[in-house]
Amino acid sequence: MNEPVLKIENLTKTFTLGKRKIQPLSNLDLEVKRGEFTAIMGPSGSGKTTLLNLIGCMDKPTDGRIVIDNMDIARLPESQLCKIRRDKIGFIFQNFNLLPYLNARENVELAMELAGKFKEQRKQRAKDLLATVGLSGREQHRPQHLSQGEQQRVAIARALANDPVLILADEPTGNLDAANKQEIVKLLADLNQKQGATILIVTHDEKVAAHTRRMLFLKDGKIIDEKQGSKSSPS
Amino acid sequence: MGILTRASRNIARRKARALLLIVVLSLALAVITSLPPNIIANQQGNQGLIDQMLGAIQSSSERLNLTATQIDCNLGLQFLHNQGPYKNVTMMVTPFLNISDYANLTSIPEIADVIPMLLYWQPDEENFYFNFTYNGYTYRGFMYIWGIPLEASYLEKFPSVIPTTDTWTFSTKENITAGRNLEAGDRGVVVLQEFIANYFNASVGDTVNILGQNFTVVGIQGTGRYPQYFDIYMNLEDAQKITNTTGQASKLLVFADKVENVDTVENKIKEQYPERLEVTTNKAIINQALENKAEWEKNLQNTQAAVDNLKNTAIMEMGLVVVAQVAIMLFVMLYAVRERTREIGTLKAMGASNSTILGQFMLEGIILSLIAGIIGVVIGTVGASAIGNLLIPRPTDVGFEISVGGQDVAILAMTMPEFILAGLGIAVALGALGSLYPAWRAAKIRPAEAMRHE
Repeated sequence: MNEPVLKIENLTKTFTLGKRKIQPLSNLDLEVKRGEFTAIMGPSGSGKTTLLNLIGCMDKPTDGRIVIDNMDIARLPESQLCKIRRDKIGFIFQNFNLLPYLNARENVELAMELAGKFKEQRKQRAKDLLATVGLSGREQHRPQHLSQGEQQRVAIARALANDPVLILADEPTGNLDAANKQEIVKLLADLNQKQGATILIVTHDEKVAAHTRRMLFLKDGKIIDEKQGSKSSPS
Repeated sequence: MGILTRASRNIARRKARALLLIVVLSLALAVITSLPPNIIANQQGNQGLIDQMLGAIQSSSERLNLTATQIDCNLGLQFLHNQGPYKNVTMMVTPFLNISDYANLTSIPEIADVIPMLLYWQPDEENFYFNFTYNGYTYRGFMYIWGIPLEASYLEKFPSVIPTTDTWTFSTKENITAGRNLEAGDRGVVVLQEFIANYFNASVGDTVNILGQNFTVVGIQGTGRYPQYFDIYMNLEDAQKITNTTGQASKLLVFADKVENVDTVENKIKEQYPERLEVTTNKAIINQALENKAEWEKNLQNTQAAVDNLKNTAIMEMGLVVVAQVAIMLFVMLYAVRERTREIGTLKAMGASNSTILGQFMLEGIILSLIAGIIGVVIGTVGASAIGNLLIPRPTDVGFEISVGGQDVAILAMTMPEFILAGLGIAVALGALGSLYPAWRAAKIRPAEAMRHE
């Protein structure tokens, strides 16, 4: 349990906007252990999403190291990064980002299809995962025929599809009403506690963060504070 | 749910746009696929005309070569007061010339050959006369003996010295109706005009006695429209022998090496033999043949220019349509990429590789083009002729034919499997080409940027 799934050292990201340089992250260090449910909080512009993009191999750091599951991904080419995104990371987005032309099962299956899994295998797993998130019987529905809460559940099932070592959730409740927000947070907490999923969640909602075990506070590109949450670890 | 399903569902998701695009692309493909058959139809339609012109030019050239280079040399006609059966009739005869007197002709460099010919008829001698029946009336006529040099070297170069060939100009041109014509090396044989054969009561293979010498009949020449000619054809030496004219000829056929040298040869012969020899060229034939040849060549050039012009027009139009089609596909797919940037980001976040993204967008472009291609081929087939008439109007003054057996040539050509396959192939290729850059752009979008896209 103490083995770090994610280790970040001296992470710096600099953007150039015209002649101006912006540094959303500066010499950031972070370690996330397997099975942790961690929230990263901070005001707008604090670098939360930038950090999540870098951890998720969606962007490349200007400096520093990012080690995911013992692999330094900071300098890997895109051809390798896409495999890490596919095999080791599961994403949950604020806007769900389901493909509207695929039904719920197919959206979940797609992640496995990209990983080259066999049709029957991925079909069954997609069905099981949708059952896990409480969407049995809704497999054939397309996103536009699902509620927002249901859409986010499909997105969670999709994030779990390839059994990732790390689930990254960017404001997963940002577009949900209070009831759905509660449901989704509970679902994530359950996944962490019952299945041991390592979840890193970016949120500015304290109620959401309160369900996590560990809260990190980001400001001006640095972690300025850390608190232990009230929830117990799955161990 | 593979890449094909994703691509086709994406197309189906935007039905109106896909439909509009398919309509535009199918019309473009109808033009692209139907113009080549129209070009072929034009070419086929003109081929007959071109062949006819080429044939006329070739025939004109052959006639020029075979006949127009020929210069007749003989001694001038002489009046002969008949001492024979028609004692009171004065006749014109051509005196014989001694071949050896004109041996120097071959020293004129522009002369290709000198061929002696003998035409012997003797109105003084009773045995040259015979009776024949024509249309129920009995006539009295006399025979002409033709002595022809049957040497292979002459006949190869100047087949016109053989009687009854198309270009033989000395007498009738009637065909051989039985047996065969004279051949190189023939000796002791004759070809008889039909009336004379009847007079001798001879058929092919029979022996006839002419001026005391036996000859085997190898061929009979039809009477045709000119029963007044009663010709006997044989080897020159045989003819000379039986007519006691050894070393003599009634005329020398001089052949210039080329048509352009006929005048030079004529002048040189006249210079060499200023007093006695009558020199006659086939100037009228030359002039007419040259005129005809020039006319046909001009017509041929005009027709070929018209065909080339139509072909170039069609190719230019096809080029424009191809560019337009690729441009339409390019812009539509670029718009799609921009519109679906977030989706691209999502796919990348899930681990889709650049090649997967590239493949999906290209496949969408290809599917759209293929559907448009199928419709375009159908439109192109049905409307091949109409499209051809609209885009490459055919001039009517050069004899274009647009139908074969009552069916439109363009439509016939368009229904050929290779054109249908080519049409579909072009559709796929243009779809791939038009969507290549947008797909590449989609593949190269950085995931973080894609996710930020609103």
